[in-house]
Amino acid sequence: MLQCIFILSDSGEVMLEKQLIGHKVDRSICAWFWDQVISQGDSFKQQSVIASPTHYLFQIVREGITFLACTQLEMPPLMGIEFLCRVADVLSDYLEGLNEDVIKDNFVIVYELLDEMIDNGFPLTTEPNILREMIAPPNIVSKMLSVVTGNSSNMGVTLPGATASCVPWRTTDIKYANNEVYVDLVEEMDAIINRDGVLVKCEIYGEVQVNSHITGVPELTLSFANPSIMDDVSFHPCVRFRPWESHHILSFVPPDGLFKLMSYRVKKLKTTPIYVKPQITSDAGTCRINVMVGIRNDTGKMIDSITLQFQLPSCVLSADLTANHGAVTVFSNKMCNWSIDRIPKDRAPALSGTLLLETGLERLHVFPSFRVGFRIQGVALSGLQLDKLDLRVVPSRLYRGFRALTRSGLFEVRS
Amino acid sequence: MAPPAQTNRSPSPSQPSGKSEVTDLKSQLRQLAGSRLPGVDDSKRELFKKVISYMTIGIDVSSVFGEMVMCSATSDIVLKKMCYLYVGNYAKVNPDLALLTINFLQRDCKDEDPMIRGLALRSLSSLNVANLVEYLVGPLNAGLKDNNSYVRIVAVIGVLKLYHISVTTCIDADFPAVLKHLLLNDQDTQVVANCLLALQEIWNGEASTSGDAMKEREALLSKPFIYYLLNRIKEFSEWAQCLVLDLVVKYVPADSNEIFDIMNLLEDRLQHANGAVVLATAKVFLHLTLSMTDVHQQVYERIKAPLLTLVSSGSPEQSYAVLSHLHLLVMHAPYVFSADYKHFYCQYNEPSYVKKLKLEMLTAVANESSTYEIVTELCEYAANVDIPIARESIRAVGKIALQQYDVNAIVDRLLQFLEMEKDYVTAEALVLVKDLLRKYPQWSHDCIAVVGNISSQNVQEPKAKAALIWMLGEYSQDMSDAPYILESLTENWDEEHSAEVRLHLLTAVMKCFFKRPPETQKALGAALAAGLADFHQDVHDRALFYYRLLQHNVTVAERVVNPPKQAVSVFADTQSSEVKDRIFDEFNSLSVVYQKEHRGPFEFSDELGSLAIGTESDVPAHVVEANDKDLLLGTPDKEESRGAGTNGSAYTAPLYDTSLLSTATQVQPELPISNPAAAGLSPQSSLAIDDLLGLGLPAAPAPTLAPSPPPLKLNAGAACLFTASPTGHILIFVMDRSLSQELSVSPQGAAALTTPQTLPRHLQGHSIHCIASGGQAPNLKFFFFAQKAEESSIFLIECKINTSSAKTQITIKADDQSMSQAFSTLFQSALSRFGTS
Repeated sequence: MLQCIFILSDSGEVMLEKQLIGHKVDRSICAWFWDQVISQGDSFKQQSVIASPTHYLFQIVREGITFLACTQLEMPPLMGIEFLCRVADVLSDYLEGLNEDVIKDNFVIVYELLDEMIDNGFPLTTEPNILREMIAPPNIVSKMLSVVTGNSSNMGVTLPGATASCVPWRTTDIKYANNEVYVDLVEEMDAIINRDGVLVKCEIYGEVQVNSHITGVPELTLSFANPSIMDDVSFHPCVRFRPWESHHILSFVPPDGLFKLMSYRVKKLKTTPIYVKPQITSDAGTCRINVMVGIRNDTGKMIDSITLQFQLPSCVLSADLTANHGAVTVFSNKMCNWSIDRIPKDRAPALSGTLLLETGLERLHVFPSFRVGFRIQGVALSGLQLDKLDLRVVPSRLYRGFRALTRSGLFEVRS
Repeated sequence: MAPPAQTNRSPSPSQPSGKSEVTDLKSQLRQLAGSRLPGVDDSKRELFKKVISYMTIGIDVSSVFGEMVMCSATSDIVLKKMCYLYVGNYAKVNPDLALLTINFLQRDCKDEDPMIRGLALRSLSSLNVANLVEYLVGPLNAGLKDNNSYVRIVAVIGVLKLYHISVTTCIDADFPAVLKHLLLNDQDTQVVANCLLALQEIWNGEASTSGDAMKEREALLSKPFIYYLLNRIKEFSEWAQCLVLDLVVKYVPADSNEIFDIMNLLEDRLQHANGAVVLATAKVFLHLTLSMTDVHQQVYERIKAPLLTLVSSGSPEQSYAVLSHLHLLVMHAPYVFSADYKHFYCQYNEPSYVKKLKLEMLTAVANESSTYEIVTELCEYAANVDIPIARESIRAVGKIALQQYDVNAIVDRLLQFLEMEKDYVTAEALVLVKDLLRKYPQWSHDCIAVVGNISSQNVQEPKAKAALIWMLGEYSQDMSDAPYILESLTENWDEEHSAEVRLHLLTAVMKCFFKRPPETQKALGAALAAGLADFHQDVHDRALFYYRLLQHNVTVAERVVNPPKQAVSVFADTQSSEVKDRIFDEFNSLSVVYQKEHRGPFEFSDELGSLAIGTESDVPAHVVEANDKDLLLGTPDKEESRGAGTNGSAYTAPLYDTSLLSTATQVQPELPISNPAAAGLSPQSSLAIDDLLGLGLPAAPAPTLAPSPPPLKLNAGAACLFTASPTGHILIFVMDRSLSQELSVSPQGAAALTTPQTLPRHLQGHSIHCIASGGQAPNLKFFFFAQKAEESSIFLIECKINTSSAKTQITIKADDQSMSQAFSTLFQSALSRFGTS
């Protein structure tokens, strides 16, 4: 049971405080927290549960904004963390992004949202669709509406019907002139390539994102051509379990708008779309570095937004790096960024240069790891294929769209 | 729309600008209060916003309370919400003014819009002013019967809030019964969930005083009710599902069929997108099958994949929380995860505590087939930029080596580390090679060749240096220049700051001496002389011991110092399985994530104390860290002030019982309160010990007693109170609550006390152990301790007996105050039997 929620700016200022139960939590906890952040640095910011001298704290950080919740009682950890994530998601959805100014400008909305999302420290309504009906977002449309109608309230006049309906994530009485449903496969590839160029780990984490704008209460079914390749799946609450268990068919009544229908993992992939070959040799206080990037496995689709990031070891005094394609930047904290974007047809991109080591060091003992980024539109690298999307009652005008996208997740090449 | 930017930056409420602006607001609000002009709501809204923004940044705007209430007559719902927010925040400090708001809140509770009814009721119940609860009962009653579920949802939580403000009002209004009716009959699952939440808290709070509440609480765990919830679980919101699952964990099914039914029903919850639901379900599965070993293993298999998915799907915060739980499972059943070791490979940009968890998991899951790959991976981390992680990964390699899979390859790797020319790598590797040699002496030949090449000048870390010296001593016959290295180390004795290294050096020189006497004799003499002059007690004692041993008989000395050794088969693990098991009970609790043992709820103020659900408190004793030097050297002042005492009252060394002894041997070198030290102390050392145990403090008044204290059982094999901390300090539990009493001893008992040692022996039969005793007839003094069975509650007893008057003065200190009286009774009865049996 949460006792209090604080929202802190990136300078540690308390922007908002929402006490959840009668027993007030003093703001000084935020000062304690911020002192720890300053003294322990970034790694502290990633700890999700902290035991402070007086409270257990949950924290999540989004776009520099820290969401902090306090409790003194034992509770399931993910309940606190998931809830804060929902708060952050809902706020960034409502305010169209998260930053200090937008929260300060709209703190009344934030209070209103928190009021509906949690009562007496226990999460209540976190479904964005329902919240939208209770509290209208402060977007331009509603501002214009209020000017036109003269009704300046940003609140729905009636209570959402869904609070009592059996499909709590969807409101009734939705009407569209054009019915549309879009299904996106979004995959992230996590891979580790070791010093010898061997692919030691390669896995895909994927999501099926659906954006639906359909009149009434539609019954959708979605099937895959090769569902067996998925190692593990998890579903949005709208997905019915039985049809999946028996025929691997997703049967659901979708929430209105964009949502994550399911997520899945595909293990043990054999190959990556691009290769990165770093070579580092050092001798007599200087170090030669040479990195080649190229397409390993042509998917037939354009690979873009290719980037390479690596942290130079602290014993490197200076670096002189050049590339035959794309831009190389060396930041003051010795982080290097090479943005390649697309691989040109005529030549393979290569980065080369010399590193000057600290005096007294002959050779480099600590080698950087390269973090690789890329995007491929139009293909799901796991090989997962959608088969078909059906509606039980097909409305008069229906547009169905499918897309796929693969991007790199934690893609690491060691040298 | 935005609140003025400059006010946002006002750092403190005391700033003059803040004050004048508040006064300004006050007058503006006053003007608007009675106005009915068109557009007045918009101006009000701006002002309200300002007030709320001040409140948000911490400026005290309670002074405008009256004006806010006056302005609250409005139909604008946003204005209402802001007003509710304001009132909720300041009502507690303005109870008189809060009364003014009751009127409009009560009116709003009857509004025709259910949303306003709900909001007003929520605000009304959040006022948190004890004097106003009478106004709450009516609206709550109406709210619970409202035909709109939104209002009922709010009202149910309102009842819970009322309960925390005033228990009697809540019980007298018979709200629990109403909630129970809703719990079983309401159509809306959120109402049911909130009823469950509220009733759990209320009945938990009442169970200690009311038998009915206890029965009701048990009824929540009855089969029909649990089934009622389980059958509807999919209708509940994800958060309510967590609540239900939390309750199901406590349910004890009648037979295995029931267990399988429940698991079948809940299986799809493992596929829920919300991690909290998945973890709660996993906990249910683990608990249901605890007694069914085979199924329990299958449960591990079943929950593995969803947890791994959660790790890769969520935000970093969620991932880490789930990873911590995986860590727990991996440590518990590593073999289940042996094929998934690649999930625990570290990425270089992960924070180091994530890497640390992963390294531990990698170490745990290594088996014959995966060792090679895992060790290869770990070796890559040794060249990591993050030095602590590099160290950890080398240690991990060593631990895997000690698990005896594929030692051959690992030894080669370790020796490569030694050649990497990095200080910390060499240091860690040396420690490992030492451990490895203790377990696999057959590798000594290969290792010693490499170790011999390491210059002792390049090794600075005490642990590594100690390891190197140990090897020099142990294998001096194989290393040609061992005596000379040891000699040069001895020459630099004064520059060696670590006592651990000096201790090892003494022993190594001794060992070397037995193997190569002519070459080592000079070093040995120098080492013993330096050791005897050493200011560190342990080093001094060991040097003296060796010196006397050599004086006594050299062959005996060799047998003592350098006996033939057996290879160590199992190293004592740092984390006992008991602790692991205890943490395992805490699956899906916060302690798993912050990686410490459960420390129980925080100490609450009276108000919150009643909220604690299922509290199980750990030892709340204050741990005082006393430096060993303080302990031993702290006495001289007192000695002087009291002059020479009578030798007769010298405190005899404590009579260690077996459990004490075992602890003592484990920590021998670091345990300053060992017999010789204690015996060597002058009489007045009693005072020092007295103070350390906190027994010399004036006794606190006897605590009030619980109506019926449960019978007290003591732990027969109570663990020692003194534990050596890694720094060589002693931790002593000091209890600050005490109970003093005067008792009388039976005449037989007094007679038996002519030999004082009979009393400790007698009391040991009653699981009360002696720490120290002393004094001279007729005034004897004893210190005892006892531990409650199956709990860590500890009692310390100071007992002064006057044998001539047969009077006993006891002071009992307990970390659990409520048990003092019970223990006192037990102690008395034990004492009264003394001398008679």
